[in-house]
Amino acid sequence: MAGYLSSSIGRKQIVAVTGLFLTLFLIMHLSGNFLIYKGPDAYNAYAEFLEHLGTIKILARVGLIVFFLTHITFTALLVIDNRKARGAQGYAVSNSVGKRSLATRLMPYTGTLVLAYLLFHLCDYTLADHESVRSLVNGQNLGLYGLVYNSFKNPLRVAFYVLGMIGIGLHLVHAVQSIVQTFGFNHPRYTPLVKKISFVVGVGVAVGFASIPFYMHFCTMSACSLGGY
Amino acid sequence: MSKSINLTLKVWRQKNSKTKGQFETYAANGIDTDCSFLEMLDVVNERLTVEGKDPIAFDHDCREGICGMCGAVVNGQAHGPQRKTTLCQLHMRQFSDGDTIVIEPYRSRALPVLKDLAVDRSAFDRIIQSGGYVSVKTGQAPDAHAILVGKEYADLAMDAAQCIGCAACVASCPNASAMLFVSAKISHLALLPQGNPERETRVQEMVAQMDKEGFGNCSNEYECEAACPKGISVSNIARMNREFLSASRKK
Repeated sequence: MAGYLSSSIGRKQIVAVTGLFLTLFLIMHLSGNFLIYKGPDAYNAYAEFLEHLGTIKILARVGLIVFFLTHITFTALLVIDNRKARGAQGYAVSNSVGKRSLATRLMPYTGTLVLAYLLFHLCDYTLADHESVRSLVNGQNLGLYGLVYNSFKNPLRVAFYVLGMIGIGLHLVHAVQSIVQTFGFNHPRYTPLVKKISFVVGVGVAVGFASIPFYMHFCTMSACSLGGY
Repeated sequence: MSKSINLTLKVWRQKNSKTKGQFETYAANGIDTDCSFLEMLDVVNERLTVEGKDPIAFDHDCREGICGMCGAVVNGQAHGPQRKTTLCQLHMRQFSDGDTIVIEPYRSRALPVLKDLAVDRSAFDRIIQSGGYVSVKTGQAPDAHAILVGKEYADLAMDAAQCIGCAACVASCPNASAMLFVSAKISHLALLPQGNPERETRVQEMVAQMDKEGFGNCSNEYECEAACPKGISVSNIARMNREFLSASRKK
């Protein structure tokens, strides 16, 4: 096991498997978030449900933290190795032969952006008080929904969230097909399909999440709430 | 129709592996477009020799694109701008009159520059020595069809066996990874019945040696496949990943 964890391929596969779980988490998170379009009641009820999962919640949180830290640590080890491998003297001229996409090239940078985004996002909503004055809409406390509604009236926050989602979208466009390759699946017929799926997942997750700040920014309370507030 | 073109060369010159190198600019006038890239360098070297200067050292051997000895990075691309072509098979008709061509050695910590454009590729030899072979009992040559091989496996194995070990994959990889080379060697043996008994120890030994030599890791950018003069597919890297995982699981 120690040999596996210190080998180049072993480390790649650790990054891939943790990345897979984080991707699945994102898809779950997104599908839950879509409840915001059903109005404050449905959204707050969902948040309430997650808050009261007890042991499952603790396990999920610990699991996510472990996956995140493992993903980041092993990636850092690989990136350090890769930077050293070129040697002291790099190329004066470097021309891609044409297979390297923007998403691929930016992987370490989009990863770092997502990390910065994540820390902000956790303080912003997950760990914030859901019943404070920030949740008041027209004098009524709308809980987490109200907090999200009010905070996205700030265009800077909308811009930052959209930037974070562009980061995660680009990351996933490369990542999903990369996971499949790293675990040893490559087939002349199915690999092009996997690459398309990877693209759709990346763009879908990014657009799905980014739609929420836009919606919350531009809607007014009477228009966005179906619950009669 | 051959014609003659004038070029400016910016060539990496380095005395030996201990010293620091630098680019030198040379005029290469009146180059016949029917010359191969290496013949063009020969012409420049003859002129340098007449002038009493040190000729440019570069790797070459068969000059037929089958030995894997030649190779340099030309205008930022391993083996130059033409796909599936070694440097010796690249012809000067790919360039235009007045072009400036930047010629650099392969850059990798594991493949140190010996002199000018010549690099030390013995790291590849050590990877092969660590497991890139089949242990065979001595004795009479076996019958040609004593062991049957399925057509699809034979095809895939022969595709992988086309690797000439030129190291263009390392040169073109953003991480200077040797995984296309190593995976081609692992695949061509693992796919055949003769290589099957040792497949697990082979993948582990070869990957360990590859890591020890200081090559980078694959980040699935697929530049290697595009730069490879033999068109070795990255599906071999997937196969190596799979072989490595299953060998590690059993150990």
